[in-house]
Amino acid sequence: MTVRERFPLLNSFLDGWSIFKQSLLGRIGLVLLILFALMAVCSYIPPLIDPMYNPMTGVDPAITCCTPPGMRHWLGTDFMGRDILSQLLAGARVAFMVGISAAVMSIVLGVAIGMTAGYMGRFIDTLLMRLADMIMVMPTLLVVLILAAVFGQLNIWTIVLIIALFRWPGVSRIIRGQTLSLKQRPFIEAAKVAGASHSRIIFQHIMPNVLPLAFLFMTFRVTSAIITEAALAFLGFGDPGTVSWGMMLQWVWKTGHMFKAPYWLLPPGICISLITLSFYMLGRAMDEVLDPRLRKEDQTD
Amino acid sequence: MNIDNENKQILQMRNVSKIYKGKGSLFRSSGKDVIALNRISLDIYKGEIFGLVGESGSGKTTAGRLIVSLEETTSGRIFLDSREVTALKGRELKAFRRKVQMIFQDPYQSLNPQRSVYDTVSEPLKIHRMGKASDRKDRVREALKAVGLSPPDDFLFRYPHRLSGGQRQRVAIARAMVLNPEFVIADEPTSMLDASISAQIFNILLTMRNRLGVTQMFITHSLAAARYLCDRIAVIYRGNLMELGPAEEVIKNPKHPYTQALIDAVPKFGHSKDARRYGTLLSKDHEVREDKGCIFYPRCAVADHNTCPRREPGLSQIGIDHWVACFRQGSKESGLTPFTYGLAEGR
Repeated sequence: MTVRERFPLLNSFLDGWSIFKQSLLGRIGLVLLILFALMAVCSYIPPLIDPMYNPMTGVDPAITCCTPPGMRHWLGTDFMGRDILSQLLAGARVAFMVGISAAVMSIVLGVAIGMTAGYMGRFIDTLLMRLADMIMVMPTLLVVLILAAVFGQLNIWTIVLIIALFRWPGVSRIIRGQTLSLKQRPFIEAAKVAGASHSRIIFQHIMPNVLPLAFLFMTFRVTSAIITEAALAFLGFGDPGTVSWGMMLQWVWKTGHMFKAPYWLLPPGICISLITLSFYMLGRAMDEVLDPRLRKEDQTD
Repeated sequence: MNIDNENKQILQMRNVSKIYKGKGSLFRSSGKDVIALNRISLDIYKGEIFGLVGESGSGKTTAGRLIVSLEETTSGRIFLDSREVTALKGRELKAFRRKVQMIFQDPYQSLNPQRSVYDTVSEPLKIHRMGKASDRKDRVREALKAVGLSPPDDFLFRYPHRLSGGQRQRVAIARAMVLNPEFVIADEPTSMLDASISAQIFNILLTMRNRLGVTQMFITHSLAAARYLCDRIAVIYRGNLMELGPAEEVIKNPKHPYTQALIDAVPKFGHSKDARRYGTLLSKDHEVREDKGCIFYPRCAVADHNTCPRREPGLSQIGIDHWVACFRQGSKESGLTPFTYGLAEGR
């Protein structure tokens, strides 16, 4: 017996990895994602070198307006002399934080609600799914804008929470469908005949079978959370205490440098596009891993 | 087929019916109800293998699911060891689950793809808190050995996708047997398997009965399998019991036109002519004006057009432990005496 056979998760991970590897999209997405992760990690370095590289508060005393890239500031500075590169690195950290935490929260909510609805059925199913429908048709951005207008500036974590609260219905619909079909499968009935309780059936039999799908959806949710946060920040409703890429774009816009300082405008814009693209590509590749029908003929053995 | 505690019933079904309510739509209050089982009564004796034979959709699987109480009866009562099954709840239901197990039809569907063989087979032990962790492993090994998966350690940590159909069904049998149940329902356990594998599965079931005295209900569409395995056979057609009797008797001397039709349908090989012995199926159905007659009337070639469509034939005893639900059985002119051209009686 090999190690692979002993550990189911490792085994299915390795199986999945061998398929994932063959997908060009997946490889590109993964490389991009690693680059962004490195950026996020490196974001801690510039402020250590010199306080003037602090993305939020560090102002180069020698500079009062925005300057193009140079030796002192590799990507230039913004209108008040803050280093753009260090802002960009901090933005990567914020993007990961927002994207992943919002996605995890919405997935946890979506899985819990979807499984409850699918397993309980009847009244509770109807109730939860109508709730999901109601939330699904609400435009997230608009709701957050209204909330921001009512409560003033929102904390970054409040924004994350709101995004999560508005993004679970899609997940829960899928998970509910999956649960409904699993519930009818004979192995669930076999467990029932063996005397399994509801919680055993839910956690030991249904959940392991819906989790892969939930992980797939997580990558797409990360994308949408990052975009929503960027849009909010760009519109001026972001957390003024954090440097996100959307925030940087807003500063460009507000100070009227939109068409005057491409070295300031382009990096955050490109980063937002690339990070969402990389998560999307990752999701597509994972889709292939999970759904054998999507695999190309020559890749199956 | 001499059983020690003969005539001791383990399972009794009394007038058990199951009706699936038609789903009404918004504009129509109710659709058509489907009668899956119609007032079935039968006894299963301790230590026997009881065959429930019928075509697909005849309600045979429903009968099994009612007994293990995966579904609720619409009316009628089911007793296991003289205790009513239909009303069990909570702790009593759990105790009942320990005694009655089921082997499902499709081994590709009845094992959780995310769980290893050990997880699957040990699960009933965990649920019923039987034995310590180390004991469990031994019991699982034993169960795997008993179903012919040896050496068991090779299989313990395999996942269903790395098992063949026959191996999967053996795992499913091991799961059912690991609790030492008194009564096992095998719902067409071989319909998804090759003939040679099927024979091995049959032998496992037979061994279970002979060694451990496990009473079994074997649900199948194949008379040949039922004859090989079962002590007694019940033939069921669209939810109604048609004929019930000792296996050899029912197959060699079938009294109900439907049973005869089933025997006609068994493929023949070798030098025997492809002849029908009984010819009791109509190629074109009779019209039915009222639906209170014999359920088989529309397809029955020997039907009496006065009685059969008007009254429902009850089960009547025609031999030792041989029961038939037909008005025409035994009457000479009915054509029920087998006309044998070319094919010798028996095989």
